Amino acid sequence: MLGAQRGDRDAFKTLFERYHRRAYALAFGVVRHQDDAMDVVQDAFIKAHKYLDKFEGNASFYTWLYRIVMNLAIDHLRKHRRVKPVELDETRFENDGDDPLLPRILGGNPGRALLDKQIRGRIDQALDELSENHRSVLVMRELEGLSYEDMAQAMSCSKGTIMSRLFHARRNMQKRLLDLIDNPSAELVDDLTGGRVGDADDTPANDEAPSQRTPAARSRP
Amino acid sequence: MSEPADARSDLALMEYADGEIDGQIDGQPGGQPDGQINEETADAVVAARLARDPDARVKVAAIKQIGELVRGHLELSADAVHDAKFAAMWRRIDDQLEQPATGLWARVSRWFDRYRGHVITGAVSAGAVAALALILRPSTPDPGIPGRNAAAIDVRPVALRATPEIDSLDTPGGSSTVINLDDEDGHTTVIWLTPADTVEGI
Repeated sequence: MLGAQRGDRDAFKTLFERYHRRAYALAFGVVRHQDDAMDVVQDAFIKAHKYLDKFEGNASFYTWLYRIVMNLAIDHLRKHRRVKPVELDETRFENDGDDPLLPRILGGNPGRALLDKQIRGRIDQALDELSENHRSVLVMRELEGLSYEDMAQAMSCSKGTIMSRLFHARRNMQKRLLDLIDNPSAELVDDLTGGRVGDADDTPANDEAPSQRTPAARSRP
Repeated sequence: MSEPADARSDLALMEYADGEIDGQIDGQPGGQPDGQINEETADAVVAARLARDPDARVKVAAIKQIGELVRGHLELSADAVHDAKFAAMWRRIDDQLEQPATGLWARVSRWFDRYRGHVITGAVSAGAVAALALILRPSTPDPGIPGRNAAAIDVRPVALRATPEIDSLDTPGGSSTVINLDDEDGHTTVIWLTPADTVEGI
């Protein structure tokens, strides 16, 4: 980091190599389009380099970078908004229409579930169908583990609004995924219940492609 | 035995699952149906509910599972992008990092590099317009501004510099006629002499 701040190009490239995919995952989760996410990540690294001298090192480089990525991703959504999302009532929970969470889970092993194309397709679909605000909060929380307070700052809204958005986002995700397993294909049943379900180390062998590894088997930096 | 649940009570489960429970929302009692504001008490209320309500336990598990699915799905999506795309991205980033990052001159240089083609095209166009203006400008000099002719030296003989004037014409034994003509070519004087012995008509 210090090397990059001193203008060492190789040091900055090292930062890029370390964090570009993670930054991409965040951008993709928010903007939901591969090329747009690539543009956001590229702009984020350029901006990060431009303001490296402003980085004081109080937080990790990635914490600083993800804020840049998040801001650019949200800006991108605002500039390229195609359909105005319909927000649910975000501040009131007393309404009769506010459904609780369903007391059901998807299956035994989320890592194995992620190998199923139908489930991943349904996650994609559910993310697409969330409003931009709900999706942004969900991605910040699940991918980066941001606190409610940090998300409220990032999105310039109250903590209560963040909690409401996160709750609705999760509930909608749950409903869509449960819809899928209520009418499962044979392949899905096999993926969810067969083989070594429940075994945390049951990911396929190391010789598989990186895109086929289950995230449960990986550690995050 | 499960308890009746609504979104508000499930919100407390979500806070619990996220490790965020503090009994308040934006400084007001919240997250708890009975308005608990103490973090420890709020946490105890949720823990008690979890102990007696199996549905609540499943909901907390569902919240965590959704988190794992979303995170895993996005990480796999990122892994699926080919390395070559990120390599190309780095080249584009690297190209833009060529210029120094600070200073007015650096910003001007970056701007110029970015719009170099436009600037050169503009400069060439401006030069061409200026050249045309010089070529096509009117030849009449502006009044009060010394022109090219003002500095020129008149090399004609003195006799030719002004229109000749005939003060007297002596024609002994004959007659003479002086004709002065002024037209666009200048001034012309014709002297016509007629001898005395000339017989008109021969």
